[in-house]
Amino acid sequence: MPRRRGSLVGAVSVVLAVAMVSSCAVRTDQVARDPNTVRMALNGWVGYEASAEVLAYILREEMDYEVQLVRTDEQPSWQALDQGVLDVIVENWGHEDLMELYGPEGNGTVVDGGPNGNEGVIGWYVPAYLVEEYPEITTVDGLREHTGLFRTAETGEEGEFLGGAPGFVTQDQGMINAFDLDLEIVYAGSEASQITEVRRRYANGEPVLFYFYEPQWLHDELDLVKVEFPDYEPGCAEDPDHVPCDYPVYELNKIFRAGFVETNDPAYQFLDNWTWTNAHQNEVAGMIADDGLDPTDAAEIWVRENPDVWREWLPGGRAER
Amino acid sequence: MTAMTQPATTPRGTPARDEGGGNPLRRAWVRALLVVVVLVAGYWVSRLLGHPAWAGGFPTAVGDRFMAWLDSVYAWIVANRNDSPLFLYFFNYVSVGLGSAVVLINRTLDLLTWPGVTLAGVFIAWRVAGWRVALVVLAAFAVFALTGLWNASMTTLALIITAVFIALLFGLPLGVLAGRSERLHRGIRPVLDFMQIMPAFAYLLPFVLLFGIGNPAAAVVTAVYAFPPAVRITALAVRGVSRGAVEAAESMGSTPWQILTKVQLPMARRTILLGVNQTIMLAVSMVVIASVIGAGGLGDAIYQALSKVNVGQAFEAGLAIVMLAIAMDRVTGAVGHGAHAPDIPERYRMPLLGGALALVIAVVAIARLMGVEGWPRDRSVDLSTPVNALYGHVQDAIGAGTAALATWLLEGVLAPLATLLTHSPWWLVVLAAAALGWILAGRRAALVSGPSLLAVGLLGVWNHAMDTLSQVLVASAVTIVLGVLIGVLMSRSDVFATVLKPVLDAMQTLPPFVYLIPAVALFTIGRVPALVAAVVFALPPVIRLVNDGIRGVPKPALEAARSLGSTRWQLLTKVELPMARGSLLLAVNQGIILVLSMVVIGALVGAGALGNDVVVGLAQNELGLGLAAGLAIVCLGLFLDRVTQGRRAPRA
Repeated sequence: MPRRRGSLVGAVSVVLAVAMVSSCAVRTDQVARDPNTVRMALNGWVGYEASAEVLAYILREEMDYEVQLVRTDEQPSWQALDQGVLDVIVENWGHEDLMELYGPEGNGTVVDGGPNGNEGVIGWYVPAYLVEEYPEITTVDGLREHTGLFRTAETGEEGEFLGGAPGFVTQDQGMINAFDLDLEIVYAGSEASQITEVRRRYANGEPVLFYFYEPQWLHDELDLVKVEFPDYEPGCAEDPDHVPCDYPVYELNKIFRAGFVETNDPAYQFLDNWTWTNAHQNEVAGMIADDGLDPTDAAEIWVRENPDVWREWLPGGRAER
Repeated sequence: MTAMTQPATTPRGTPARDEGGGNPLRRAWVRALLVVVVLVAGYWVSRLLGHPAWAGGFPTAVGDRFMAWLDSVYAWIVANRNDSPLFLYFFNYVSVGLGSAVVLINRTLDLLTWPGVTLAGVFIAWRVAGWRVALVVLAAFAVFALTGLWNASMTTLALIITAVFIALLFGLPLGVLAGRSERLHRGIRPVLDFMQIMPAFAYLLPFVLLFGIGNPAAAVVTAVYAFPPAVRITALAVRGVSRGAVEAAESMGSTPWQILTKVQLPMARRTILLGVNQTIMLAVSMVVIASVIGAGGLGDAIYQALSKVNVGQAFEAGLAIVMLAIAMDRVTGAVGHGAHAPDIPERYRMPLLGGALALVIAVVAIARLMGVEGWPRDRSVDLSTPVNALYGHVQDAIGAGTAALATWLLEGVLAPLATLLTHSPWWLVVLAAAALGWILAGRRAALVSGPSLLAVGLLGVWNHAMDTLSQVLVASAVTIVLGVLIGVLMSRSDVFATVLKPVLDAMQTLPPFVYLIPAVALFTIGRVPALVAAVVFALPPVIRLVNDGIRGVPKPALEAARSLGSTRWQLLTKVELPMARGSLLLAVNQGIILVLSMVVIGALVGAGALGNDVVVGLAQNELGLGLAAGLAIVCLGLFLDRVTQGRRAPRA
């Protein structure tokens, strides 16, 4: 929008003139920062927190870095990398559109850091006791027949589908349309309220159908079963109003700020080397969520117990790359 | 959130406009009821016709274009943030400056170590506000330390100091100018009204876009939110200085500057300090929302607890925020009154200050030598376990009952009302809004109430707005009924009032985020827990206003009625409530506006509609949707405010 830009520039010409004379331009990615500090995005779910806390702990204790964990949603975290406010997202779920916008093809401010070793599954889940009663409910046809089970006062005639937190990746409405399911989405609005509601219904043995994902600590507490949809194929989710397939299986990856990569700092090398498994993450996440440990304490315990795993990540260690 | 209406402008027992005898209020209600009947009839006609397009929801074409335009602004900013001079030479500078300020203050507080901060804080509180307030401050620091949230509290304190500083830097001069110029005052009022009803969530994204995630945007957002009372109350204070004093100064040949600095400001000092107090309180109440955009601190602790659905932990952080709010309120409040400050002879003041300073320095030095910084985390008291246990018991005890109540409320009230509003022809709803405005508040109100709903339609979010409106109406009704009931009881019994007051204080300062999860656990996800949270949030001011109003009824009137043999019920319904009408109307207005301010937070427990649009807009970077929904909430606020302000006297 070149014309808008012209008018905006005009409006602040006075400020501009003063600034021009007095000093030089400040790019957001030049914003003063301590070279010894790593700034990580901290997205809202516990699995992410587990990864971030373990990395932060090693950076602090073993490598003498300061680490800032900044809590934001997924999309704003990307924006923060672009603005130069953060250095790394340690667990990214897809977001090809954002990569186009900020990646090498777009602004060139972020870089794909490759997989972190975790595998992410998103899908629709029901409690196991419901599957015992209606074994066919985990198939598309079985679900279509039984949508009436999920009726609540909130949705009236239609079955209730409990959506996830507003920041999460979704294609639920597209799937409801494509598979012709008599369901209405109730937006939980936050993961906390969604989990509270699922727990409540689980305790009462009531039916519930909801958006959920793995790795997630609640799976250790409740016995949940994923509904089977046709496998994801590239392109099947292109039209958001008609998605005749399941969510893809995500190879979770790291996203770096381009400027952070350029420094080739040991902290970057360490984060670049880092990969671990879902089991590792669940171990830490379980300590945080189920045992109520402070995240830093949980990270410390894991780090103390698994030196063989993380020593590989240290730069100049035995990491072959 | 303070209201848009100032108590001062509300008429107490406005002379009822007589419209041909009888009780005009009752007749107004009859006419209002008639409007509702027409609306219901319109809905049924539309339904029988199968909801034809001309009698359905508002067409979204205009709104869609508006949102698309906002999205393109967003895309432009993202693409040009590092090239455009606007950013290179302006926003980025501000961003760096603010970010550094917050960090610097935080570092200073860390540098002082916990004994140093505590000692300095308690000394300052004692010096300006007396030993009682000093004890409150000490208690607040104790809570920070014992909940293991010392560092988070210091981060939050740093953010609040920065934000309040910005708010006052712009707010006080603007307030003084508005106090001296009638035209500026009139021009700035709608802007302040707008700022106060616009949900903070809705403008998080624009500020993040301009200033960057983290402390800079958080400081600006908090300052913007806290800024209106600084302007309003300062203007009020300067205007309130008696004309006589100003004229006397003028006649003695003072320059305008002298009049301002020697007469108006000193005389308005107390009221201005009240404004400062309000500004600080609002800044504290933004703490949790600011942490959505990476501000850290106590708000972050609440979010952290919520992501684990740990109510007890959230309560701990909430308690720290409550203590922070109460301590800051008492200190700044006492500065305004200046009543309890210790009376120290002039000649001891400087030595005392010097001594205290030396003591603080000594303590800090020793603490640093010993390697003390924040309060050690392992030496904290665990409050979360007992709170969680209590929460579990409550849930077991009344969970089934509350869930049934929720179902009844949803099926019996909320759902039908939502259907009525969303499925009636949109133009009929707009006409009804205008008619209600006219009937309840006069012709000028109708000119606002109708068009504001029209604007909602033009923003392209009609259906969601009607859904939200239905929820707000029901929540307001519940709030007002409960508020009047409890307020009347409170006015009857001094003991009850004394017990209730601290509870109301805590309810008002406790971040609603803390009780969202219990609300879901008890009332099932969806519109009902949101309604409950809104009622809890809006109730305290309503109760207070009703109580104050009834207690303010002149004694002679009561005695006269008693001597005529009125029963207690007659006394209440015929004398006290009618005479407290001004306060009651204000309570209704306040209740509704406060309920409205909870729309976005309600979306976090599944209320959906406009609130969810705002939340999704923020989380998914959809500037168009978020801002349009935010503006629609402002329009609903305008409509509800104007309709409930009643026939107020022409503005003085």
